[in-house]
Amino acid sequence: MIAKTLLKKIFFGLVVVFYTLFLIVYATPVYAQRINSSGYTIIFPNVNFSAGNPSSAGYDLSTTVGQLAAKQFSSSGYIVKAGFQYLHSIIPFTFSISDISIDLGSLTPDTPSTATTTLTVTFGGAGQYQVTAVEVGPLTTLSGGDTIPDTSCNGGAQTCTESSAHVWTSSTAYGFGYNMSGNDIPADFVNSTYYRPFADSTAPENPVTVMSNSNITESSISTVTFKANVSNIQPAGSYQTVIKFVATPSF
Amino acid sequence: MNTHIQNKKSIKKFLLTLLLFIFIFQISNLKSNEVFAQQITLSISPPLTEAVIKPGKSILVAYTVSNIGDPVVLSSGVRPFVPQGQFGDLIVEEEFSGPIRFNLENSNIKLSDSFFLPTRQGQQLLLKIRVPEGTPEGDYYYTFFVKNEPGNFLEGATSSQATAVVGSNILITVTESGLVDVQGGIGQFGVIPKYQLTFLGKKFSFFESTDTIPIVLVLNNKGKNLIKPYGTIDLKGNFGERAEFDLIPQNILSQSSRMVIATPSAQLSDVQSSVNLSGFFVGKYTLNTSLNFGIGTENLTSTMSFYAIPFKVIIATFVALAIGILLVKKIGKEE
Repeated sequence: MIAKTLLKKIFFGLVVVFYTLFLIVYATPVYAQRINSSGYTIIFPNVNFSAGNPSSAGYDLSTTVGQLAAKQFSSSGYIVKAGFQYLHSIIPFTFSISDISIDLGSLTPDTPSTATTTLTVTFGGAGQYQVTAVEVGPLTTLSGGDTIPDTSCNGGAQTCTESSAHVWTSSTAYGFGYNMSGNDIPADFVNSTYYRPFADSTAPENPVTVMSNSNITESSISTVTFKANVSNIQPAGSYQTVIKFVATPSF
Repeated sequence: MNTHIQNKKSIKKFLLTLLLFIFIFQISNLKSNEVFAQQITLSISPPLTEAVIKPGKSILVAYTVSNIGDPVVLSSGVRPFVPQGQFGDLIVEEEFSGPIRFNLENSNIKLSDSFFLPTRQGQQLLLKIRVPEGTPEGDYYYTFFVKNEPGNFLEGATSSQATAVVGSNILITVTESGLVDVQGGIGQFGVIPKYQLTFLGKKFSFFESTDTIPIVLVLNNKGKNLIKPYGTIDLKGNFGERAEFDLIPQNILSQSSRMVIATPSAQLSDVQSSVNLSGFFVGKYTLNTSLNFGIGTENLTSTMSFYAIPFKVIIATFVALAIGILLVKKIGKEE
């Protein structure tokens, strides 16, 4: 009976120790932030302890320490307004890419290969936002000798451009392009068979808008499907490029 | 003897439970060693900075960059941007240009230097904006951004690396006197009609009574500096109905046009129009806009009208009447 009680105690003790260790190992540490400059160091910055409209006979100053709200800062020779002046938002402008490494695998001639990533924009401002995309050159081998050209979709009447999607279903239509689905995407991506080539910054071509919204956006989510298709005369090799997604709030 | 057997059983139970715990721990450990896709989630605040500065002055703006995704190596930069179209779109240029000078005041991070940001941590970047003496008066538009450094390419596979760039716009007005050049005008004011009729050279816009009516107000800025509209769009019906929509003072950049948004009670429209009217409309309606670009500027007005006809109700009434007449005739014949 005594042994049973003892075993129970050991058992519960082990459980407590196990969970304590688990918490110690996996808990995320919290540190105070630091601001550094050549002249000073501030520990624990961005403490929003002061807001209001201090005034005297000589001045009238409207401040919010930490700039979490739009207020006007003024001094001799300049006026600075931080944030949207018509909307006080506490939701920061946030942009997310679910997977930055887009693996199209080993390409087989006449067999399209696809990969997807998800773009998410969170924005509490009343202004528009936009996400643009541009490739830093076409898919190219490391030596730079061979490239997979950007797609023109099925061609003929179904030719796509950087700003206009079209059907790309033919297994003998070669190249590299993308489709979009989800929120705030261009209307020309009618369905999953519609593709565009990326604008090429080395061409040089301007980045193209792939997501935009003029409303209060809590969370807009879209999926980008990358597609590559090669012919049997495409030289073997690992083809690579960088796609730059630029998310900016409007002005 | 009995107690000994019981003790043995308890020890067995205990050992089994311990083994189970170790097994679960191992499984959870294995799971944590799995390879996941690298996710990038970056935020920047404030999203917009407007500054009116004299040549020779400089200002300091504190940006907070937060990483809510996986640990990431970032770098920052500033590039000029140009407005595009009427909906507040912009193109960030690839190369830096312009007379304004930017640098980071952080002691350990410079512009375009790489810095590491762990998960769920923020970094304050102190951007100094300097307007050198002799800078011509006018507006200069830039985007301050942070971006992740592209990772390594996958070996033996065709792949692309995505780079996330998140930006915040900076609108700089350089003025010696503090006075700005206001040259705003109404470029377009009207409705996007469902039906349009031209009669004696005049265009008449028609809607079905239950249609949503999109109103478009495009303002032009031909001046050297950005402007903001202040005013309203008013709706007047022929039965005395009235509604008023306040314009949101969005920035209209120098030498550009913008479709401005109007809002009743901070509710924004959900299509690309200034405001959407919904309800049941009958007869002639007059829309009027009255706006200015700040204290002391000229008041601009524009008026237009549209007609709403209850086509659906009329058709339904005719169909009901026709069916009624047919039924009455049929019953009459049968009798």
